[in-house]
Amino acid sequence: MLEAFIFATILIGFFGIVFKQNLVMKIISMDVMSTGVIAYYVLVASRKGLFTPILGNKENINYADPVPQAVILTAIVIGFSIQALMLVGVMKLAKNNPTLESSEIEKNNTP
Amino acid sequence: MNTLTIIWIAIPLFIGFTIYLLPKIDRYLALVVAIVSAGYALQIFSHTSPLNLNLLDNFAVILVVDHLSGFFILTNAIVTAAVILYCWNLEKTAFFYTQLIILHGSVNSAFICADFISLYVALEVIGIAAFLLIAYPRSDRSIWVGLRYLFVSNTAMLFYLVGAILVYQAHHSFSFAGLKGSPPEAIALIFLGLLTKGGIFVSGLWLPLTHSESETPVSAMLSGVVVKAGVFPLVRCALMIEEIDPIIRLFGVGTALLGVGYAVFEKDSKRMLAFHTVSQLGFILAAPEVGGFYALTHGLVKSALFLIAGVLPSRNLKELKHQPIYTPIWIALVIASFSISGFPLLSGFGAKILTMKNILSWQAIGMNLAAFGTAISFAKFIFLPHDSQTGQGKVKPGFWPAMALLLGGLIIANVVYFQAYTVANTIKPLATIFLGWLAYFLIFQRSIIKFPRAIEQFEHLIGGMSLMLILIFWMVFP
Repeated sequence: MLEAFIFATILIGFFGIVFKQNLVMKIISMDVMSTGVIAYYVLVASRKGLFTPILGNKENINYADPVPQAVILTAIVIGFSIQALMLVGVMKLAKNNPTLESSEIEKNNTP
Repeated sequence: MNTLTIIWIAIPLFIGFTIYLLPKIDRYLALVVAIVSAGYALQIFSHTSPLNLNLLDNFAVILVVDHLSGFFILTNAIVTAAVILYCWNLEKTAFFYTQLIILHGSVNSAFICADFISLYVALEVIGIAAFLLIAYPRSDRSIWVGLRYLFVSNTAMLFYLVGAILVYQAHHSFSFAGLKGSPPEAIALIFLGLLTKGGIFVSGLWLPLTHSESETPVSAMLSGVVVKAGVFPLVRCALMIEEIDPIIRLFGVGTALLGVGYAVFEKDSKRMLAFHTVSQLGFILAAPEVGGFYALTHGLVKSALFLIAGVLPSRNLKELKHQPIYTPIWIALVIASFSISGFPLLSGFGAKILTMKNILSWQAIGMNLAAFGTAISFAKFIFLPHDSQTGQGKVKPGFWPAMALLLGGLIIANVVYFQAYTVANTIKPLATIFLGWLAYFLIFQRSIIKFPRAIEQFEHLIGGMSLMLILIFWMVFP
């Protein structure tokens, strides 16, 4: 069930990138898609259990797998920095053209 | 050797940021990094057994350094050095050199890693550094081209991440070897990411616009090494897992034909070179065992050609026919064109022969057709008019050292496969080139067919990814 929701998030984000005309909306759709991917990593990590793997005196409880969580942190940071970079680019474009429609910008800027 | 590898990986990133602190000596520092990489690559060739590094137990970083990586790293080092020499007197800021070196370092790390997460990090850093280089002139067009590149590559990498976690779920490790026995959707998703990033087949159609619209040194860098960072993992996977090998070979043939098909009809010199990159990547994939040598040759040739295209008086091949070019430039152009068409005495010949020897029988027709198309499209360059007087002063001072490095590399690289020089081997490429020229004069010189560019539009590229995903899934489904 949760898995289905996560895949729905990824797909909705993907279709947002394709169908939204506004460049900022496209970037936000990409963010939605990456949120879905991150959620999927967290889901896979918690398949075996939900507890944090921290040393304590309890025995034999089901720990969550720390590897996917550690790995996805990198992807979160990278995704965040790419978005910042893209928004700066879009700001610069929007300053020079009075539009954010991607098809208009594409028409003006391809040979 | 282990320590050496780690130092060598860290050096570009360290020096890259140092360049920004010491802008006075930016060029020298950048050149030092390229030389260190070249030295390391030569070091690799002296070792016979591959070097395996497992950092942090089985969970995280796995590095494999063998002769295949050696070829790719050498390409990277030489092309970077040539680009730095080209930019020597061009008043680039320290920021440009910083990005160039970070790009160099991240491409290097993509060439040695053997697990999906390090590869992801390397590819994303490449994406960011390449975007900053493309957008360096800060014009509207360059920003749009860069944004488009970042969008396409980031979307592809998101699919790739989903694939990586599926591999982890099946094997509890991110290693490349885990691709065997993973569910087919994992392979499909990962391949979609790598194919898009590497510019292979239909998902690589973002490449022509990006490479042709960026600045001369940047396109040389992009075409010479950056796309190979996406191709290299595919080659590595094909060598490690035999189930994947036929798929990679099939994509190789498809890409070679697609790129050449566009290139033959293209009238813009830089776009033609970009389409040629697509087709040459196909050659690398068509024979994964010997892909390294082909990548070296192609990196040298293609960056040389892009640098030459930058000093030609016009980009339109029709106009070039009426404007004679300065003879030394023409000679450099001819050497590079001959190498890429596979003329003997240049390493393109050895690489083509080696590739043709290692392809399977069902690939032969397609690859020969692609080689024939290469000869046709480069006839456009070879038969341009030239003149020893005009345009003498236009050449930038860094141009000739860069050319000397790249074209010299082409001649020296011949020693890698000197066994290619037999009579039987020599006849076939010569015949191919001759037939290609004949076809050029009889048919293609007058052709005015123009392919529509609708498929290269941004939304179609992203939408095309979903179709490619279905196609790859159907190919890998048992």
